[in-house]
Amino acid sequence: MSVSTSRSFRAVLRRGLRDHRRVPLSWGLPLGAMCALIVAIYPSIEDSLDELTRNYPKGLKEAFGIEQLDSVEAYLDAEMFSLIVPLTMAFFAVRSISREISVAEERGYLDTILTAPLSRRVLVAGSFAVTALASALVLAAIFALTLAASFAVGADISLGKLVAGVVSVWPLTVFTAGLATLVAGLLHHSAPVTAITTGTIVGMYVIDLAGKLADEVEPLRLVSVFKYYGSGLTEGIDPAAFIGLTVGGAALAFAGSLLFERRDVLA
Amino acid sequence: MSAVIETDDLTKRYGEARGIENVTMTVEAGEVFGFLGPNGAGKTTTIRTLLDLLHPTSGSARLFGLDSRRDSAAIRGRLGNLPGDFSYDPRLTGRELLSFVAEVRGLRDLGGAPQLAERFHADLDRPLRELSRGNRQKVGLIQAFFHEPELLILDEPTGGLDPLMQEQFLELVQEQRGRGTTVFLSSHELDEIQRVCDRVGIIREGRLVAVEKVADLTGRTYRHVSIEFGAPVDPTEFERLAGVGELVAEGSRISFKVEGDLDPVVKTAARHSVRDIEVAQPTLEEVFLTYYGANGSR
Repeated sequence: MSVSTSRSFRAVLRRGLRDHRRVPLSWGLPLGAMCALIVAIYPSIEDSLDELTRNYPKGLKEAFGIEQLDSVEAYLDAEMFSLIVPLTMAFFAVRSISREISVAEERGYLDTILTAPLSRRVLVAGSFAVTALASALVLAAIFALTLAASFAVGADISLGKLVAGVVSVWPLTVFTAGLATLVAGLLHHSAPVTAITTGTIVGMYVIDLAGKLADEVEPLRLVSVFKYYGSGLTEGIDPAAFIGLTVGGAALAFAGSLLFERRDVLA
Repeated sequence: MSAVIETDDLTKRYGEARGIENVTMTVEAGEVFGFLGPNGAGKTTTIRTLLDLLHPTSGSARLFGLDSRRDSAAIRGRLGNLPGDFSYDPRLTGRELLSFVAEVRGLRDLGGAPQLAERFHADLDRPLRELSRGNRQKVGLIQAFFHEPELLILDEPTGGLDPLMQEQFLELVQEQRGRGTTVFLSSHELDEIQRVCDRVGIIREGRLVAVEKVADLTGRTYRHVSIEFGAPVDPTEFERLAGVGELVAEGSRISFKVEGDLDPVVKTAARHSVRDIEVAQPTLEEVFLTYYGANGSR
């Protein structure tokens, strides 16, 4: 990396992180508060959960992995980390990439940014790195609030499992950011970038869910990012899946930067 | 002098739609080159292609002798640009924008920005969303000039500026010329181009129809004159004057077109009682139609 490239990359990173300085509050606080609430109410409903889950339909229990809600980790996983946290974080990644590239393009900011000596590839790499770092900050806020709630009510959540659960969301977010970058590399406007990427992620979620419920659909889970996301809170982190999703996301972002270099910037 | 901008049959099409066609021109070092044309003629497309925001369909462009596509980042390190419709993240202040640009350019500080801000009465500490169009344009001008580039590419730079600030801008361009900076100034204002440019390229419907020395263009540019006298006067007094044509006399008012020196017209009018006199520049479209015909050919 040349001196000017590394300087430009640092500038994009610094600007992006400044733009995202409020995300631990705007995204981390609501998600963290919801997780904290789940952990906080667990001691009071712990005894009735067995009876409650016994009455759930079998398919529902299989789909959401709630066979046994016999721990605060399993309860938090079923309520927050199987759907709400990963999908919200995926949407955060889409929105962040879209804002840095597509919104900047359609509002004409790129005409100012890209007439500085900054390559499009550096702009894309910087935006991708900003999204990865900002999502880590949001996840850190979720972790801190959940842990604080556990201490406050004596829910006795396992620190290691909570770390695994929160950390396992990060590669999913990175992969989604890579996918959004790829689409932004092709398209000029933020609305289709957001719609296509979000639609793909939701589609993958539905495939994963259907695959858990029906054996015929099960092989399709291979194409779903959620199969590799797994359940960090109850099963720990799968290193291969963690690395695979992260590297996959980076590869998609790189492909997006190549596409972005080869097309016109919207007037 | 060496060429700072050279284009060779530069063409950009948007599918079937016209962009620019076979634009070939050269801008020499230290020159203030006006790029004149009506809205939609292809001025912005040419500039965005030079800056590698658009990729040419065919032809090529070289800036500082470097290829506009392959060496784009190196080229952009040596120029300042004001986009035609300057905008940036409205949450940021002008100072934050300048700090970002300075960091990308490897500058330790904001260079001449404070002096430029003072000169243009620009507020660099308010978010861009709180600024009027004219005040945002001032920030845009400062970000183009503050790092003292070798080449300035300015697309409709005075849009939104009040007359005093337009005057400041034109003075600044003159100063840049004095420093040896090359300026490529796109405009649809004939007067602006006439005041500061050495040469002018005229673009129409995507084609460069002429490149002229501004002095030549000015010498041939006519004006519309309308004089209201205290009483009817003999129109032949004016018809006889050199450069006067298309004369219409209605009661005590005489209107005509005059090319070249106005002095004989003023002296002739002064022999009578004058109630009102109006002198108007032709519109750019009129200049085109007069000198370059409806199809752009002379």
